[in-house]
Amino acid sequence: MQEISPNVISIHGLSKIYKNVAALKPLNLEVRQNSIFGFLGPNGAGKTTTIKLLLGLTRPTSGSATLFGMDSVTQSADIRARIGYLPQEPRFYEHMSARETLRFVAKFFFKGPKKTIEDRIVEMLELVDLTEKADRPIKTFSGGEKQRLGIAQAQINYPDLLILDEPAASLDPIGRRDVLEVMSKLRKYSTIFYSTHILDDVQKVSDTVAILNKGVLVAEGPIEELLAGKEGIVYSIHLKGDGDAASKLVQSQPWVKTVTTGFHGSETTLQVSVSDPDAAENQLLKLLVNSPVVVTEFRLKQYELEDIFMQVVEGGQDVRK
Amino acid sequence: MSGNSDFIMVSETGWRRGLSNLLDNEFAGWFKTKMWWIQCLIWVSVTGFMLAGVMFSADDFDFKEGMMLFSIFIGLFPAIGVVIIMQDALVGEKSEGTIAWILSKPASRQSVILSKVTANSLGVMVTMVLVPGLFAYGLFCYYTKTLMDPLPFLSAFGVVFISHLFYLTLTLMLGAFFSARGPVIGIGLGLLFLQQYLIAAVPLLGYFLPWKLSVPLNNETDAIVPALLRGDPVTSFLPIGLIFLECVLFVILTLWRFNREEF
Repeated sequence: MQEISPNVISIHGLSKIYKNVAALKPLNLEVRQNSIFGFLGPNGAGKTTTIKLLLGLTRPTSGSATLFGMDSVTQSADIRARIGYLPQEPRFYEHMSARETLRFVAKFFFKGPKKTIEDRIVEMLELVDLTEKADRPIKTFSGGEKQRLGIAQAQINYPDLLILDEPAASLDPIGRRDVLEVMSKLRKYSTIFYSTHILDDVQKVSDTVAILNKGVLVAEGPIEELLAGKEGIVYSIHLKGDGDAASKLVQSQPWVKTVTTGFHGSETTLQVSVSDPDAAENQLLKLLVNSPVVVTEFRLKQYELEDIFMQVVEGGQDVRK
Repeated sequence: MSGNSDFIMVSETGWRRGLSNLLDNEFAGWFKTKMWWIQCLIWVSVTGFMLAGVMFSADDFDFKEGMMLFSIFIGLFPAIGVVIIMQDALVGEKSEGTIAWILSKPASRQSVILSKVTANSLGVMVTMVLVPGLFAYGLFCYYTKTLMDPLPFLSAFGVVFISHLFYLTLTLMLGAFFSARGPVIGIGLGLLFLQQYLIAAVPLLGYFLPWKLSVPLNNETDAIVPALLRGDPVTSFLPIGLIFLECVLFVILTLWRFNREEF
C-alpha cells in the first residue's frame, strides 16, 4: 500500500481584508510533501497575499494556516527556519556582493563551521550560475541575475519548503528556462510552492495546481486531472467513411457516455467521452478498425492548462476536484 | 547536495532570533564601510575645526567660552546628522523591500529593531561624539598647554550621547509609524529646531526635551554639558534621566508598532 505523504501546508479558511477589500476570501488548501505546487491566478488574484500570510509577513483576517504542523502566526520564526522564500521582486542590499548576500542569509541558519558555510555558498553560486559574478556588487546585476541570486539565497539552508513568488515573471525566455531547470533540480530535495501566471511553466514542472481568481480558489487538483477536463476521459477520433454508422456503433458501447460528431468535408470527427477508461483503451480503437471506416487520427484528448485557466477565470467556473 | 548535518545551527530563539547576524550586519554598515571615517571627518570638521578656527583666530579667546561653543556645536549639528541617517533606517528599508526580505528569514521583529538601535547608537557615539570630542579635548589641552582632567569631558560626552540618542530613537520610532520619509525627517528636524521656542513657552518641557542638555537657553549656566566641561555646578541632572527614559519609551513604541506592521 502506498504511504500517503503528509501535508506540508494546510490552509483552513484563511482570509485577508485590506481596508474593506477582500484580497483573499476564505481559502482551504493542502500541499503535499515533495510536490511542485503551482499556484496560479491573474494579477491581483491574491497569490502574493497568500504567500505573505504563510510567511507571517501579514496577519490573517480570519482562518489559519499550518506549515509542518506549526501555526503561521504564533510559530512563524520556527516555520521560516525550514523555508526558503523568493519574493516576486527580490530586494537585497545593493552594496553587497552575491557572496556577501548568501553569507548574510546563511548566518540566519548556521553559526559554522566557517568553511562549511563558504562551501555551501560556492555550491549555491554554481547552482544558479553566478560563480563568475560572485564578488560584484548586486547593484551591477541584471534582473535575471538578481532572480537567480534570489533562488540561491532561498535554497541556502536546503529548505524543506521552497516558496517562490512569480519566480520567472520578469525574465526573458532563456532566464525562464534557467529558472525552471533550477526548480526541476531542486524538486528532489524540497517541496516547492510557487505562484505564477505563466501557464506554460506550470504545465512543464508542476504536479499539482490551484487556480485563484479574485481572492477565490476556483480550481485545484493534480495537473493531469485538471488537464483531463470536466468531461473526464475523452478520445478524439478522425475517420473517413460512414461517420454516422461509426458514431452509432461507438455510442452503443456500455462504457461510452457521450459521442459528439462533427463533419469536415470527407472526414468525420468523434469526441468520445467514456466511463470506463480501461475498456475504452482496450476496445475503442479495435472497434473502429474492424468497422468499414478508415481511422486517420486517434488520441486521448488533453486540454491545455490555458483552456482550463480561461474557463475558470473568465467563466467564473468552479472546477475544484 | 549534502544535508545540513555538518553545520552548527543557530541556537537563538524567541525575541533574540537572528539578533547576532543582524547586529553583525548593522555594525558592518557603520564600521566595515567608509561610513565611519566619513562621519568622523564630517563631525571633526564641523565641531573641532570650527572650534579651532575661533580658538586660534580670536585675540582674547577664553577657553571656557570655547567650551560653551563646543557644547553647542556638538549638541546641535550632529543631531541633524542623526536624524538624516536614522530616517532611512526603517523607512528606507521598508520602501526598498529589504525589511520584508529579512523578515522572511528566521529573524524576530524585535531583533531587527534592537540591532538598529544598538549599532546606530554605537556608530553615533563613536563618530559623532567620541572622535570629535577627543579631538576637541586635544585642542583644549594644546591651547591651555596642560593635560586637562579627562573625566569632565567623558561625562559631558555621555550627556551629549543621551541627547543624540533622543533623536536617534525618536526618528526610528517615527520610521515605524510612517511609511514616507517626509514626516519622519520633518518631525525630527522640526522638533530639533523648534524645541527652544517650546521650552521658552513652557519651561517644564526643558526637562523632557534635549535642547538644554548641551545648549543654554536663558543663561550660560542652564545647560548641563558646558557646566560639566567648565566644572560649574549643574542646575539639575533630572533631564538626563528623563530623556533617557524617553529613549527607552521610544524604543518600546517602535517595537510595538513594528510588531504590528504588515509587509
